[in-house]
Amino acid sequence: MQPTTGMLGEDGIHVDMDHLKKGEVNLGTSIMAINFKDGVILGADSRTTTGAYIANRVTDKLTQVHDTIWCCRSGSAADTQAVADIVHYYLGMYGITNDEPPTTQTAAAIFQDLCYDNKDQLSAGIIIAGYDHRHGGQVYSIPLGGSLHKQPYAIGGSGSTYIYGYCDANWREGMTEQEGINFVKGALQEAIKWDGSSGGVIRMVVLTAKGAIRHLYLPDNGYTGPGTYQA
Amino acid sequence: MGSIFTAAPPQSGPGYSFKQTPTTVPEGTRQHGFYPYTDNGGSTLGITGADFAILAGDTRSTSGYNINTRFAPKLFKVGGADSRIVLSVVGFAADGLALKERLDTIVKMYRYQHGKPMSVAACAQRLSHILYQKRFFPYYVTAILGGLDEEGKGALYSYDPVGSYEREQCRAAGAAASLIMPFLDNQVNYKNQYVLGSGEGHALQARERELLPRKDVEELVQDAFSSAVERHIEVGDGLQMFIITKDGIEEIYKPLKLD
Amino acid sequence: MPGFDFSNYNRNAALHAQGVPLPKATSTGTTIVGCIYDGGVVIAADTRATSGPIVADKNCEKLHYITPNIWCAGAGTAADTEFTTALISSNLELHALSTGRKPRVVTCMTMLKQHLFRYQGHIGAYLVVAGVDPTGYHLFTVHAHGSTDKLPYVTMGSGSLAAMSVFETQWTKKLTKDDAVKLCSDAIQAGIFNDLGSGSNVDVCVITDEKTTLMRNYITPNVREQKQRNYRFKRGTTAVLNEKIITREEISKYVTVHELDDPSVSAAAEKMDVDS
Repeated sequence: MQPTTGMLGEDGIHVDMDHLKKGEVNLGTSIMAINFKDGVILGADSRTTTGAYIANRVTDKLTQVHDTIWCCRSGSAADTQAVADIVHYYLGMYGITNDEPPTTQTAAAIFQDLCYDNKDQLSAGIIIAGYDHRHGGQVYSIPLGGSLHKQPYAIGGSGSTYIYGYCDANWREGMTEQEGINFVKGALQEAIKWDGSSGGVIRMVVLTAKGAIRHLYLPDNGYTGPGTYQA
Repeated sequence: MGSIFTAAPPQSGPGYSFKQTPTTVPEGTRQHGFYPYTDNGGSTLGITGADFAILAGDTRSTSGYNINTRFAPKLFKVGGADSRIVLSVVGFAADGLALKERLDTIVKMYRYQHGKPMSVAACAQRLSHILYQKRFFPYYVTAILGGLDEEGKGALYSYDPVGSYEREQCRAAGAAASLIMPFLDNQVNYKNQYVLGSGEGHALQARERELLPRKDVEELVQDAFSSAVERHIEVGDGLQMFIITKDGIEEIYKPLKLD
Repeated sequence: MPGFDFSNYNRNAALHAQGVPLPKATSTGTTIVGCIYDGGVVIAADTRATSGPIVADKNCEKLHYITPNIWCAGAGTAADTEFTTALISSNLELHALSTGRKPRVVTCMTMLKQHLFRYQGHIGAYLVVAGVDPTGYHLFTVHAHGSTDKLPYVTMGSGSLAAMSVFETQWTKKLTKDDAVKLCSDAIQAGIFNDLGSGSNVDVCVITDEKTTLMRNYITPNVREQKQRNYRFKRGTTAVLNEKIITREEISKYVTVHELDDPSVSAAAEKMDVDS
């Protein structure tokens, strides 16, 4: 098939991403997910922008796709919401038909399927993190092209460029829950500080054998509280 | 073209980046933008009578969907305190101001050097020259010049941005010109109006045009603007009118709708 | 065949390539807002429709009916907001009939986002969805590309920045119905007076558990002023070049003609605003 003009470049291989950006709502974002001793922690800022305007300052970029499988969304708000909605549906069906919850790997594979097959139409950078009883906590990252990477921790979004150093210097294998929360919070605070398209509150989700716990940290008190609540 | 997929991961940072804007390296020459003009909207109009000329303009200044200010006059007295010449400019406000400053200085200098006020006809021709001097980088304005001619009759000159000009009885300019001008044609020059029962079809006699009294013209101007405000988003806030007679220049301000 | 007709696509593309400009769609360069309060949800809109810098309609309706308990405020391309809300309204009624349940606001929002996402932003509908259902009071924004947000107070359209400045300074957690209506109409007025794309009147819709109240032209701060002169022409002012009289009997061949009993009753739905 001939490449469609507008989406693929002259060489028919490279994708012109600029066509997606006209007036689109973007998650200009800082997102991350880490493994810790008892599970995983997902974290994100809360800023959604249309150009220079903040369309939503309390966005929830941490999206549940199954009981203890969540994802962090970055890129086009519309694209990532659509993808997450589809995966949410698939995992729901999987759970019912197999009478057992899906693994994080299964979820990540479905995400990759959608992101890779539709790579020329999507601008979505997604991090998947989950806890299942077979493998415990796991973190996967799917960047723009639709490749899938299993990682000890993953960072993403425009703000992530500012915290490669921070994460590299402070990352330790097998942290406690509190250490993990401090690591994520510290990294996201830096990302928010330096990245103009990230900001607002810090949201977190802690996934363990006990289930999902949400955290919220406000800039009003230097990201110290209010803290946890049941998801 | 060059996109995020062009670079192999190790070079130029993480080639697969999560970043929002793919950092593309420009290929070939890059075109830099140079936008010296802005359209500040608004409308002006001028009508002459037997012994007076009226110039009017709304006072709103806009850029895009924003209002810069609700009071930015587009009408200027030119040539000092005892002057009988008014310049109206609409289009790019900064150019309008620059043009007015230039003409004002010239008319003042004329008075100092010749010991008499400049005639409107001379001023009109001078304005044309000022505009044409910048033929290839024009003042982005539509100007209307008003005053009294050497016989004491109302005089009105309208211009295009590069200095083509013409003496007229009435003229509307700016954003709502296309809304106001047909109204003026009909109400000032009685276009499309015929004498009742003067004939059948094409034989019908056109209504003779006459010079309108000042009160009628003032009312027409107000109605023209209050109507333009209804249908043009860049017109509004206030209406400024300058009435030039042998006794001087009278200024009237009337509020217009603010939406 | 359901869906859009693309049969003129190639012709229009060829015409456009030759320099023929595309026809201008009426856009509702708009201010629309919404706000949740303790006993329900309020949405509001201005009533100006524009085509470029020209006001196309001074008193249009931007508050769209979805179901009795769900209403929608629309910004963007006028036709798109009109048809998209009408389509979802129809489908939601069928859905309610087949499930035997009251339609939910999330269902409406999901149908809208999936429809708009499918058309990748080509359907230029920007919507504020509000409603009450068995699960509570809800307020959403839906963008043309298909993204959605859930917030206690929202604004959209070209006047959204002006309107949001009112919410960000005046909004409080505890609001009565009157507070919410006042806040929404103030936000719309900020748009009307500070955004050129918005103007004329304020429409408000209040949805509570018990009922929905649509307050058309809730505030009219821009009434047209009286003209100074009389512009009524005497009969015969305009030249009559040709005259043809079509009788009622002749026209009855093509359409049905009804005699109106009361001559004072206008056949038009809404009376036109004319000079006296």
